[in-house]
Amino acid sequence: MTDARRRRTFLVLAIALPVVVTLGVSMGSVSLPPLGVARSLLAAVGVPLGGSAPLPPSSEAILWSVRLPRVLLAALVGGGLAVVGAALQSLFRNPMADAGLLGVGPGAALGAVVAVHLGWAHQVFLALPLCAFAGAMAAVVAVYLLAHAGGRPSLHGLLLTGLAVAALAAAGTSVLLVATEEFRVRTVLFWLAGGLEGRGWEHVRLGAVFILTGALALITLARPIDVLSLGEDEAAALSLPVHATRMAIFVLASLVAGPATALAGSVPFVGLVAPHALRPLVGGLARRLLPASFLAGAVLVVVADLAARTVSDRLDLPLGSVTAFVGAPYFLFALRTQEGRA
Amino acid sequence: MRAMLAALLVAAFQSSTPHPPGSASSPLRVASLNLTADEVLVEILPPDRLIAVTRWADDPKTSNVAGRVPASAFRFPKADLERLVALGPDLVVVSEYTDADFLRLVERSGLRYHRMAGLESLAGQRQAIRDLGRAVGAPAAAERLAAQHEERLRELDRRLQGAPRPRVLYWANPHTAGAGTAIGALIEAAGAENLGRTLGLQGIVPLNSERAFLSDPDVILLGHWPGALEALKAEPLLSRLRAVREGRIVEMPNELLVTLSQHSADACWYLAAALHPDRVRP
Repeated sequence: MTDARRRRTFLVLAIALPVVVTLGVSMGSVSLPPLGVARSLLAAVGVPLGGSAPLPPSSEAILWSVRLPRVLLAALVGGGLAVVGAALQSLFRNPMADAGLLGVGPGAALGAVVAVHLGWAHQVFLALPLCAFAGAMAAVVAVYLLAHAGGRPSLHGLLLTGLAVAALAAAGTSVLLVATEEFRVRTVLFWLAGGLEGRGWEHVRLGAVFILTGALALITLARPIDVLSLGEDEAAALSLPVHATRMAIFVLASLVAGPATALAGSVPFVGLVAPHALRPLVGGLARRLLPASFLAGAVLVVVADLAARTVSDRLDLPLGSVTAFVGAPYFLFALRTQEGRA
Repeated sequence: MRAMLAALLVAAFQSSTPHPPGSASSPLRVASLNLTADEVLVEILPPDRLIAVTRWADDPKTSNVAGRVPASAFRFPKADLERLVALGPDLVVVSEYTDADFLRLVERSGLRYHRMAGLESLAGQRQAIRDLGRAVGAPAAAERLAAQHEERLRELDRRLQGAPRPRVLYWANPHTAGAGTAIGALIEAAGAENLGRTLGLQGIVPLNSERAFLSDPDVILLGHWPGALEALKAEPLLSRLRAVREGRIVEMPNELLVTLSQHSADACWYLAAALHPDRVRP
């Protein structure tokens, strides 16, 4: 792997992200002229353009109230999930690891169903994502406490505790779903399938605070993550506080994945595909893989959301289905290729 | 790249309401995002003021106003906020089950909305029609519609005075209608006992087939959709119900079963005619 290839990869990702964001805000059920969009964005950040208004008032409203927050949230969610995937894969030394291991998804689903079951999602602004976030964090705390009940847990102990908590949360979700009014169930089904419809600036602010902070913190932990990926004994021999570092990664990953899942529902495969695709291009070292994964995950989810809302006139496809339709075949292909080489 | 990120972050944290909400006076252009509103608005608004309805309004299997919606009105294939903003209605009519987060975005886009609620009872439906009439500036037309609804149900009640009340179980495998549901209210207004309520159920909830079998209904109420009757007759336990064996099953047209508008009076008359053919004719 050459430095030139790494640099090229970062350059391509750094160009791709603004390009897909611009495409994402220009395309949709109402088409907005890209030039007008660009002028409106520049005007908003104080670049003097002069002349007439960049867009008609209704297009301005669509751009600023509906589409831009949606696209930015897609980028945040994708970037966050990909960084978490990359960090956990290094931590667990397993390329199949992702945010699902933390119990975040099922915990968030349980929180979302509680919000819908009690009618809060229809009456109280932000009730659904906040309850989903609370559910995600409750699951993470449960994993942490249960795993530590018998002393410091091994990686396997942590992994299995996460699976058990996830199963419990999924069972609770099923029970509540069955007991929920059928008209309300539709809301939670949309959330479970993943999607960004109806997300505004408040959602972006929530996401930005947690996801950007958490992802940046994970990136600053890149060196300890690389040391941990050598193995626990080796890391301890290099004087790394293994347990504290592992828990810091676990907590930060939860702080990123929890809000990402709460705000967008289930968006599978991003945390697996982005790091997996990038390893041959930027290498396995976390200091390169994590920032590259953030950019790639952001690009992937912005494009997936664009496809979800433009493929059909009659319905928005669930975002989670689009990422799974792309991610699962890619992952199977990559797996086959690896096995063929082995 | 850094400048781009900074610009995006600045944008994210800026207030983003480019337009003030619409005028609070009578809205001239009304868009509907739910079928109940479609059915009411077709009756109470001049055609040129109804600028958008749901795509279900044209489907005779779900709508009681199929073929009557003005051709000029946009049909929403989905709850498409971007299209809604582009249409620029003065008022958007949404349902009780529209997400609070979606509604906040509607407001942020400079649109006003009216939420129809309380539709699980017949009186609530009349109140919702009156409230909608006031919201769209057509209170007199809405009042007439609500009064007709009330009058038709009063007449039905008069005809059913003293009639035996069969025990009716609504069945949408595996759901039934308990107390606090529009279907329960429909059953009771049609001169029957809602078995779902008798069983202590609340809302549209699943009912296991053993409990349904033990409740031994006099009549089963089904929606008239493909496979519903066949599924009931193929169900190992429910197929042995007296009501099923003796053919006391009412298949109700779907558009009547699901309506929460003034057409619920038609639904009550339809079911009453099936249950009490000696007293009521459809």
